[in-house]
Amino acid sequence: MVQAGSKKSAISKINSKTGISSLIIFVVLLLAWIAGFSSRLFAVIRFESIIHEFDPWFNYRATAYMVKNGFYNFLNWFDERAWYPLGRIVGGTVYPGLMLTSGSIHYILHLLHINVHIRDICVFLAPVFSGLTAISTYFLTKELWSAGAGLFAACFIAIVPGYISRSVAGSYDNEGIAIFALQFTYFLWIKSVKTGSVFWAVAASLSYFYMVSAWGGYVFIINLIPLHVFVLLLMGRFSNRLFTSYTTFYILGLILSMQIPFVGFQPIRTSEHMAASGVFALMFAVGFLKYLQTMMSKSEFKSLVIFGGFVSAGIVFSTVVILTYAGYVAPWSGRFYSLWDTGYAKIHIPIIASVSEHQPTTWFSFFFDLHVLIATFPAGLWYTIKNINDERVFVVLYALSAVYFAGVMVRLMLTLTPVVCILSGIAFSGLLELVLREDDNVRSEDSEEEEQSTPNKRLYDKLPKEAKTKSKSGKSVGKASAPQVAGRVPKIKHEPSKESDGIGPNIRSAVTVVILLLLMLFAVHCTWVTSNAYSSPSIVLASYGSDGSRQILDDFREAYFWLSQNTADDARVMSWWDYGYQIAGMANRTTLVDNNTWNNSHIALVGKAMSSNESAAYEIMTALDVDYVLVIFGGVIGYSGDDINKFLWMVRIAEGEHPKDIRESDYFTEQGEFRIDEEGSPTLLNCLMYKLCYYRFGELKLDYRTPAGFDRTRNAVIGNKDFQLTYLEEAYTTEHWLVRVYRVKKPDEFNRPRIPVANRIIKSPSFVSKKSTKRKKGTIKNKPVVVKGKRLSTKQ
Amino acid sequence: MKTLIATLLIVWALILNDADGQQRRQGYTMAERVQQLTDMANKRAVLRFNANKFRDFVKASPRNYSIVIMFTAMAPQRQCQVCRHASDEFTIVANSYRYSQSYSNKLFFAVVDFDEGSDVFQMLRLNTAPVFIHFAPKGKLKNADTMDIQRIGFAAETIAKWIAERTDIQIRVFRPPNYSGTFALVILFSIVAGFLYLRRNNLEFLYNKTMWGVGSLFFCFAMTSGQMWNHIRGPPFIHKNQNGQIAYIHGSSQGQFVFETYIIMILNAAIVLGMILMTEAARGKADPKKRKIMAGVGLVLVCVFFSLLLSVFRTKTQGYPYSFLLK
Repeated sequence: MVQAGSKKSAISKINSKTGISSLIIFVVLLLAWIAGFSSRLFAVIRFESIIHEFDPWFNYRATAYMVKNGFYNFLNWFDERAWYPLGRIVGGTVYPGLMLTSGSIHYILHLLHINVHIRDICVFLAPVFSGLTAISTYFLTKELWSAGAGLFAACFIAIVPGYISRSVAGSYDNEGIAIFALQFTYFLWIKSVKTGSVFWAVAASLSYFYMVSAWGGYVFIINLIPLHVFVLLLMGRFSNRLFTSYTTFYILGLILSMQIPFVGFQPIRTSEHMAASGVFALMFAVGFLKYLQTMMSKSEFKSLVIFGGFVSAGIVFSTVVILTYAGYVAPWSGRFYSLWDTGYAKIHIPIIASVSEHQPTTWFSFFFDLHVLIATFPAGLWYTIKNINDERVFVVLYALSAVYFAGVMVRLMLTLTPVVCILSGIAFSGLLELVLREDDNVRSEDSEEEEQSTPNKRLYDKLPKEAKTKSKSGKSVGKASAPQVAGRVPKIKHEPSKESDGIGPNIRSAVTVVILLLLMLFAVHCTWVTSNAYSSPSIVLASYGSDGSRQILDDFREAYFWLSQNTADDARVMSWWDYGYQIAGMANRTTLVDNNTWNNSHIALVGKAMSSNESAAYEIMTALDVDYVLVIFGGVIGYSGDDINKFLWMVRIAEGEHPKDIRESDYFTEQGEFRIDEEGSPTLLNCLMYKLCYYRFGELKLDYRTPAGFDRTRNAVIGNKDFQLTYLEEAYTTEHWLVRVYRVKKPDEFNRPRIPVANRIIKSPSFVSKKSTKRKKGTIKNKPVVVKGKRLSTKQ
Repeated sequence: MKTLIATLLIVWALILNDADGQQRRQGYTMAERVQQLTDMANKRAVLRFNANKFRDFVKASPRNYSIVIMFTAMAPQRQCQVCRHASDEFTIVANSYRYSQSYSNKLFFAVVDFDEGSDVFQMLRLNTAPVFIHFAPKGKLKNADTMDIQRIGFAAETIAKWIAERTDIQIRVFRPPNYSGTFALVILFSIVAGFLYLRRNNLEFLYNKTMWGVGSLFFCFAMTSGQMWNHIRGPPFIHKNQNGQIAYIHGSSQGQFVFETYIIMILNAAIVLGMILMTEAARGKADPKKRKIMAGVGLVLVCVFFSLLLSVFRTKTQGYPYSFLLK
């Protein structure tokens, strides 16, 4: 990174500086990687190396299938164990990037005879990729601002909870690798915009291809990059560099993204992708106009621009509208539409609204996930805008769009986190670079100018006066903090000589101390949040006694193991969709609905079964061939995420499809409350879900202070205590009653009305019991006769 | 939900009740009635019934059509604000039905105003307005035939849902697009465009980074302080408990008040201001004294407001162990 200095004497100096600085950069990034990796291991250390939550179980199952059966079988995999009786075409409905990544790691390791189980690779994939994310964030920030800011950003993103929440060990999900792909694509894009080289643009589109294969969030990239280009055009910053990089990126990215089976023709047929092609067309129009400009007079050109601009804009717009209207281009899908019209999902798509991570974000979540960064990143944004150039336009747009999306949906906090880290890195390093600058003895030597003839003439890059800076980097880990010199140093021509008597050493050190305190608070906050909020595998629960002792509640795995051992291999298990992936992954049994919520009416049918009374539910269950029903019940241990608390969503979703049979209002009391005690509505007290959760619960007295049948989650005594199940029987209940499994009786099993002997078609053999009341004890056939004094032998 | 409690209406009704409605023509046949209703419905989606028509079309049997009637009091002297809203929503539903594909002569929408049909109110023992009642083709009025507006409200969607429950006719509510928003947008655009055109020789201000910077920062503050949550969830401004104490901060981490978000916005902005002041002080070329003051102010801003922010956060998190300066 040595920019050919104009003075030869400077070269050796720069060389030694470069050596030290790259060493420091290397060490800091390594430490960030280690810190990021190790802070994601809480769950593994506390529990074990286990896959977490819901979706990761599917990913794990798919990965295991791919490793076992090969990639092509995986692409053609029709999973008949899900969505019974429909089944699911897995190969065409997943983003295969995650499975391919861990599958190829597994393959390479096995080539090297390192026999790691695929589960361990899956568990540790996200923490490893967090280090890669940190590195790509460093490169991105370095392109945008300076190396010091890049180190800050890398350290921030290594430990920031907003990203850890999706990438702890065991959370084997698309986001874990997608954020790396996202940052890396952005880095390559910025690089290609700066250089205008086809090489970087191709690299960007390859990275984009990886992103498309990994996560549906690629739509964010394919809208943000065109937005960047569009805004640059508006700002009059059209250049041949931009033209080269965007056209290359767009065409290659388009073709590559269409290779993913799940994406298919969407990039040319859905509205979400239309902005990119519109900008592509616009790019050519502007390029053409620029060309015409060279051979026209000014006034001619002006009228041409105005006329041509309007006409071409009208043509493009009407083409899109006509294509949409004619059905060639699908309109915005509900999930994307709900980002703009925030009330949309609540009314029209309850299944989207029911997911807690699709809720809007409170300020609390912002602070919880980003801590000091949320309060400082606007400062970075401010300086980026103040010193705008081509690539900084990008980060500004990134920040503004991501902050909007994060406000609408908690889940999209994930896309906000990287840009917040970048901008906070800029803010902190901008401040510390100035504050920690050693006074001006070095200044005179460094006043050579940056060469103005570098191919990318950067116009606004004169801000960072980072001639000789110390940047406290690696503060987050509390480790490296060493002087560090930025590699590429644009300098201000004439520093005023009175710079040295700046703000005085006292204030400087005070500022330094305060900033370090803030960063330290940030580090401990991150650790605390990671440890307390994001490191629970959620299939193994832990409760803490008053003396700090820890009790592991392993009910989920207990129940799934029971299912796998005690039920027929083709048994069909009905549960609410949250648990579908886990049942398939751990118990290996057929499920009706699962977390891939692609078929709303099927889910509504299950919801209807859960919310109807027993006999109506039995009809649905026989129609669906259900053998077992699994419910999650937290009333014994006070687990709040159980099925009764989710029950209203089941009702709502069922009501959406079967408005005649299920009505949400029936499940409320007259006062409009949702109560499970005696005052609860009779429909609720008699529905299947209620009965399955509270079957025999009325007999259970949890402790001597509370009456029998006291539900700890909802703090109430249940309203319907003594009831029998007619169509189902309890098959298994786990230790803490967290999971209850019921078997659906066959039609010949439950109590049919007795037909008088005379009316029976099949006459039972006339049999009269000879037992008198005395002999009613009953006998056992072939009972060994025990003779006193003789040894009992099998041969009689 | 405020409904006009019109206990006085009964008295009123007794006074107003005239013999006009008594003169009852012999009823039409069913086909005639359906024909008449269809003709009327073709003219306007919501039929206006007085006492006579009510008898002719609703009380008469046999019927093969349902009628959904809104009982209301729209006359200005009744001062029923709710009735106006209800009437708007009801009209939306009726129009959606009228112009939908499922339109048939199985369902009609009508309105009975108290001042035109007070004896109908008497007959049905209604003493509030508005009331929505569904008259099924057969059978007596059930409880569920009266829409429970106290509980579920009377938004057009809920009315449509309720009708779907009662009659099996699905009405997809089509709100006439609210042009006021578009209109405002168009006006805004044209003002901006006009402004730009007038100042076309001096567009320097568009390059004013401070303006853009302040705008972006404000947007960020709005979003990070949870204004979007407020927009979607509509929390109260502040909370007043029974003892009259006012809570500015929501106690749990799941919720927030509007006022609280403003506080957070100010805290965030102050911290950012502090950061910028410190940086400017360290960079600036102004005289050292001024810069020292700037740096000091920035430092104090960051310290104080961040510790405030942290302590607000602490009150909402159970067992959060860290604090800075303030508890």
